[in-house]
Amino acid sequence: MTTVIMRTTARIVVPIVLIVAISLLIEGHNLPGGGFIAGVLTSTAFVIVYIAFGLDFLERGVLGRDVDPGKTPSRDRVVVAYRRLFTVGLAIAVGSGLVPLALAHPFLSQSYVVLEGVPLYHHLEIASALAFDLGVYCVVVGGLLTIISVVGAE
Amino acid sequence: MPPELSVVLAVVTAPFAVAGVTPLLIRSLGEKTGYAGAAVAAFCFALLGTQYGSEGTVELAWIPSLEVALRFYVDGWALLFALLASGIGALVFLYSPAYMHGESGLARYYAALLAFMGSIIGIALAADLIAIFLFWELTSLCSFVLIGFHTEDASSQYAARMAMLVTVGGGLFVLVGFLLLAFVAGDVVGPGTSAFDLAAMLDRPGEMQTALREAGLFVPVLGLLAVGAATKSAQVPLHFWLPNAMAAPTPVSAFLHSATMVKVGVYFVGRIRPLFASLEWVVLFATLGLATMTICALLAVAATDIKELLAYSTASHLGLMIAGFGFTSILGAETGVFHLFNHALFKASLFLIAGIIAHETGTRRLDELGGLRHDLPVTAFFTAIVALSMGGIPPFSGFYSKELLFEATVEASHHHDLGPLDWLYPAVAVFGSIFTVLYSLRFLALFFGRQPDSLDRAHRPPVILLVSPAVLAALTAVVSIDPELAVRAIVQAGVDATAVDPGTHEMHVGLPTSYSPAVGMSAVAIGSGVLAYPFYDSIHRSIRSIPRTIPPIGANWWYDAIIESLADDGAWLASRVHNGLLRTYATWTLTATCVLALAGFAATGTAVPTALAGIDVPIPVALVLSLAIVAGLAVVTADSHVAGILTLSILGFMIAIFYILASAPDLALTQLVVETLVLVIFLLVVEEIPEYYQVSLGRVARDAVLSVLVGATAFITVLLTTDARPAGESAIARYYTEHAVPEGGGQNIVNVILVDFRSFDTLGELVVIAVAAISILTLIVMRSRGDESSVATEDGSANEPRERHETRGESE
Repeated sequence: MTTVIMRTTARIVVPIVLIVAISLLIEGHNLPGGGFIAGVLTSTAFVIVYIAFGLDFLERGVLGRDVDPGKTPSRDRVVVAYRRLFTVGLAIAVGSGLVPLALAHPFLSQSYVVLEGVPLYHHLEIASALAFDLGVYCVVVGGLLTIISVVGAE
Repeated sequence: MPPELSVVLAVVTAPFAVAGVTPLLIRSLGEKTGYAGAAVAAFCFALLGTQYGSEGTVELAWIPSLEVALRFYVDGWALLFALLASGIGALVFLYSPAYMHGESGLARYYAALLAFMGSIIGIALAADLIAIFLFWELTSLCSFVLIGFHTEDASSQYAARMAMLVTVGGGLFVLVGFLLLAFVAGDVVGPGTSAFDLAAMLDRPGEMQTALREAGLFVPVLGLLAVGAATKSAQVPLHFWLPNAMAAPTPVSAFLHSATMVKVGVYFVGRIRPLFASLEWVVLFATLGLATMTICALLAVAATDIKELLAYSTASHLGLMIAGFGFTSILGAETGVFHLFNHALFKASLFLIAGIIAHETGTRRLDELGGLRHDLPVTAFFTAIVALSMGGIPPFSGFYSKELLFEATVEASHHHDLGPLDWLYPAVAVFGSIFTVLYSLRFLALFFGRQPDSLDRAHRPPVILLVSPAVLAALTAVVSIDPELAVRAIVQAGVDATAVDPGTHEMHVGLPTSYSPAVGMSAVAIGSGVLAYPFYDSIHRSIRSIPRTIPPIGANWWYDAIIESLADDGAWLASRVHNGLLRTYATWTLTATCVLALAGFAATGTAVPTALAGIDVPIPVALVLSLAIVAGLAVVTADSHVAGILTLSILGFMIAIFYILASAPDLALTQLVVETLVLVIFLLVVEEIPEYYQVSLGRVARDAVLSVLVGATAFITVLLTTDARPAGESAIARYYTEHAVPEGGGQNIVNVILVDFRSFDTLGELVVIAVAAISILTLIVMRSRGDESSVATEDGSANEPRERHETRGESE
């Protein structure tokens, strides 16, 4: 599927998809979206890259590393990064739950503050749930991409 | 005087805490870690000593919402048991470094031994049924690790698995018994007190018994708890794991058989005795105990290995204690408590001496040993004290407690109408005691007579190996000379706690000065034992020949047969369900799910709604859904996998559009993206699936039936769940709509529910995603490795149980 059409489309589509995903993550609290859907969408962007450019593209083309031809996919540095990502995600989610404990609230309590008069936004709401949602996002992206890249390499 | 919570907590947690850091201790202390363990045990012993004379409950809230608390109950009985466990634990730790010199895996050994001691102390002090159960199973787990210490040795693995299966299995009976007990106790102990509080139940034994009888649960609960105690304390016919457990290193055997694991059942029977004392109790436990005492004494005479002899003798003595507690009179309590105390001292000492013999001569076979008094004079002296105590020869300590049993058997008929059991109990007790005398003399004979030529000169044991048995033998000697001292010090307090009507009787023991039936019984037992001793070899051979001619008489034969048939059935079932074909897995999983779901609907008597009133489908929705149906039909007729998958995704996208029309933008977004991703994954996987091939008509029929079943289940489920929806807005829906903005600070209610109101659920789902990713990674990484090793183990394990049984005892 690595045709020119596919590659050209991917070049344009992938950034758009990623930006939409991030906006879904940030806006999720008030508009349709959220950590899970943003994570799945981000994974989709990576899948498009994989389909258009091949599995090794991320390491060779983006990170500029040499790829050992005989390597096993599960030992891949990118896969290691995905694995770290979902570990970090779980840590963020659990950590965001532990913070309220330190402030004598039950585990995973959330709160929010509304800031008025912020430049550009004027009215900005920061919810602690966003940290938890970020954890969700990381776990979904890391987990799905680990599965896809390992299964895809088969 | 009420006990101190902090002290009790320290005693229970210290062994576990040190067990956790054992690997670090091993790194810095090496083999001397045993002395650190001895220090921990001595620390627990000293702390328990400060609680001497205290009585009462202390508690630490654990799961307040379920009323589960870490509740400890301290009284004479609990202190006696905990002091024995920590005191003998200290001596075993002191003995270990010299005995285990040069062994590998010491970190595992000491950690498990410490945790084991902690669990035993936990059982002794816990007053909460849940905590007792947890500690109960922890002891099984630790003993599994300890018995299977020699991991490369097949007989050791066999013994460890057997001990685990029997004792953990028994623990499950205890759990069910506890739940039933708590179910009844809830009303008796009243509100404000946890239904799991054993101490509260023991305060009201009469009411508890009446309530249990009214609920019709008295006999079931008694039976369940009895099975648990019998497995733990190796009562016939579940005694067979105990002799096999001697595959453990000798210090472990000494600990396991004398003061800890096997006494847990006895301890517990003593603990619940006031609750259940009745005719059923007498018939059940006195019979069980006396049968065990006699059968295991016979088996001990049949033993060929010194540790095997001691192991069967342990089971026999446990029978004696159970029988003692079985009699509801005060004499019964005195028998149980005093013999538990005496047995812990002499049996731990005997096992440690057996370890010295094996260590210094290199053999444990009875017929290869003899005349050891020349080489091991000091050991011989200690052995004389403890072996004669085990045999119940006056004036040694075992005599006093056995005399109490004889009195209890004679007096049993004064309390209950027992029919023919009235004379059968004393007769069996005497008969069993004859064999006790026989095997005790046989063990002592290791040190006398002529030394066999095959036996090399035994080395003198290092002093440090002798310290522990010497201390125990000295204590046995003290109890022998002045039994009243032991009674005053601790035994009386234990008796008061286990007696049915506490505080009414002061215990006195001593050498008899006038004739009584019990004295006569003792005289008959000891006299017959001594007279029969010259014929030991022929008795030994004739008992051995019985299980050889009729194998099913041995409990071990049944164990092997059951385990083997379970293993065979398991392998057969696995070959049917788990045959490596995706369609088999799909068939079983889907069928099971559908049948269970439909059975659930049927069991609850849910009626399928027939009148579909009020369904109003707008035209766009109808169009989209009909397109989805067409796509579904097209999937079935697609002529290649790729076409099928692409058609399937049409169906998925139609559903996404349906969500948009039904104003659920979040769902639609998710459905769209997931659908895309799944499509890609399907396309990746589809290359691995074989091309379309011819399938038999039977298989097509099976698939058709399965499809209809799945479709019908899904249809019925949707119908039922949507029909069951309450009219209008439910309270919970209203709560979410009203509170999303003020409390969650978000207008997207779905997201607020996910990350705010129900974020704990979401966290669980995150863990699921992570676990799924790890599993797939592991499966793929290990796929090539797994095949070779699994083939290797299958070859090795084909006919192991039989061989292991044959070789047990010859190891170490």
